[in-house]
Amino acid sequence: MTTIEIAILLSGVLVLLVLIGVRVAFATAMIGITGMFIFYMTEKGMDPGRAMLVTLKLSGQIPHSKTASHVLGLIPVFILIGYLAYFAGLTKAIFEAAKRWVGWLPGGMGVATIFSTAGFAAVSGASVATSAVFARIAIPEMLALGYDKRFAAGVVAAGGTLASLIPPSAILVIYAIITEGSVGKLLMAGFIPGAVSAVIYAVMIVGMAKRNPKLGPPVTGYSWSERFASLPPAAPILFVVAIIMYCIYGGWGTPTEAGALGAFVVLCMALYRGMRWKDLSGALIESAKLTTMIFTMIWGVLIFVRYLGFADLPNTFAAFIAGLHQPAILTLLIILGVYVILGMFMDAIGMLILTLPVTYPAVIALNGGIDITREASSLGMSGEECGIWFGIIVVKMAELCLITPPIGLNCFVVAGVRPDISVQDVFRGASPFFVADVVTVGVLIAFPGIVLWLPNLL
Amino acid sequence: MSSAHNVHTDGSWLSHFDRALFAIETKLTLLGGLAVMAAMLISVANILGRKLLNMPVPGYVAIMQQIVPVMAFLGISYCQRLGGHIRMDLVTGALRGRWRWLAEFIGILVMLILSGALFYGAQNHAMRALMLGDTTDDLGIHTWPVKMVVVVMFVFLILRLFLQLWGYGRAMQTGEEMPVAVPMIEDAATQALNEAKTVSSLDEEPLK
Repeated sequence: MTTIEIAILLSGVLVLLVLIGVRVAFATAMIGITGMFIFYMTEKGMDPGRAMLVTLKLSGQIPHSKTASHVLGLIPVFILIGYLAYFAGLTKAIFEAAKRWVGWLPGGMGVATIFSTAGFAAVSGASVATSAVFARIAIPEMLALGYDKRFAAGVVAAGGTLASLIPPSAILVIYAIITEGSVGKLLMAGFIPGAVSAVIYAVMIVGMAKRNPKLGPPVTGYSWSERFASLPPAAPILFVVAIIMYCIYGGWGTPTEAGALGAFVVLCMALYRGMRWKDLSGALIESAKLTTMIFTMIWGVLIFVRYLGFADLPNTFAAFIAGLHQPAILTLLIILGVYVILGMFMDAIGMLILTLPVTYPAVIALNGGIDITREASSLGMSGEECGIWFGIIVVKMAELCLITPPIGLNCFVVAGVRPDISVQDVFRGASPFFVADVVTVGVLIAFPGIVLWLPNLL
Repeated sequence: MSSAHNVHTDGSWLSHFDRALFAIETKLTLLGGLAVMAAMLISVANILGRKLLNMPVPGYVAIMQQIVPVMAFLGISYCQRLGGHIRMDLVTGALRGRWRWLAEFIGILVMLILSGALFYGAQNHAMRALMLGDTTDDLGIHTWPVKMVVVVMFVFLILRLFLQLWGYGRAMQTGEEMPVAVPMIEDAATQALNEAKTVSSLDEEPLK
């Protein structure tokens, strides 16, 4: 068997291990170690004992050496911001402000929910928790105003997905780490597509409510003074966004420092609002648990990636993809189609970490390579731009899996918080937003400038 | 994918060991959380010190390089106890009785073998740093203590995996439906409810 054939076989075994329930991080690391061991024996001619020793010494370094990076410090800090944001009392403030400013539109409470989840996403990177919070705040108000139950639940489930793109986004940092891209540029790149997603959602809600006014009536009667009065309580969100954007965009600090400064402001607000040690320790334990989960995935997959590098599988796959006799855009759409299917059954972070080592080089090769110029490329972007653009597209695809059956977690969260709304109703309510997301992805593919304008200014 | 955290307890030795280990794991995870907070405060001090006083934190990058692996590893065993590491449980969740416990047993065995292998490699990495007196470029911080943290956390993980192996082994033998000391698979609805609970009562504050 050739090295490539062994690598393909082991990738099959990896899928089998994942299917029988082995934790993804450990399954990938196990296959990585097994592959390295075989590689040292077959390609380097080592005896089994020596091959095992070299493999264990090499792979045993990776969990420490790959996590000992100050850039990675950004992930736990972003996670911490998300947990602290709830204690800082920002959720109700932003919802109230959005309601007073855009509630007059057809389906206005739905639009207000979308914009407030987008605003809240700017201080929280967690989609599922955002849906849980807004299911408590927004759904009761919408139902009291006579909104359609299914529609209200779908809006909240879909609004929660915006947290993945709008900075601070932990998932974009993970993408940057796996693909060795610029964290700052990726975070900046997510901002406009996140806002575009929110606007597309809002336009769709207005259109649906106009066609069928029973879905959600407008909320009127707020004076301008009442509108302006709602802004100061929500202002800290703008302050945190401004800090993070200014630090990264203005070159004032590194993304890690920007995230830390944002987290510090939110911590101070939470303490001011009376957060106690019990709450803080709970937030710290949850942050540490999620941090460990993500880092374990990262080093587990990086052991596998080290092996894939030995076997040259990503380059071989990339060459195969680039050599296909069909338009590059068609190949890209097929790859995205695979993500839609995977997203129906896999967790977003797991799906990205597991697939990126192979799909990222393939997409870069599809565009003509990492050193390609914009003019010579097949997708109209330079190599670096393509990496950033694909990151945003693939994270948007990961968002989709939060509202698709059978395991779209945001929908289950909304149904969990509101036992009077069945999960089937939430899935049905969220289905128009799936269409909206497909439209958004189409727009981002057709106009990559939406993604690349902001990072290109850096 | 699952992030189940439904672990049953009873008066058995296994459950006693499980709870005793969990108490330590919880404290270690809190320590990991405090490390996150420390990283945040040091980063804030660095940026404000650099911009306002022209005095950044000396050896900031080296300090962060030492803190991040601590954050990454202190919760590894806690996360495993609660079934928090990402997995796909569509197939395992569909199995019933002894077949399910057998599948779980095999999964844990794979993890145990891997953890043993990584423990060997990680302690080799740490011991070499200790022998060579490896230090960071800035501040000259010895790197072996943090490398040793990784080793110690693999020991905790191995202990946890042994307990889970014991739990699933016992379940295979007795055929019980609710084995102790192992995370039970939860459906998406239960997971969602647990997720929602983590933010319950936090959004009740009135608008100021």
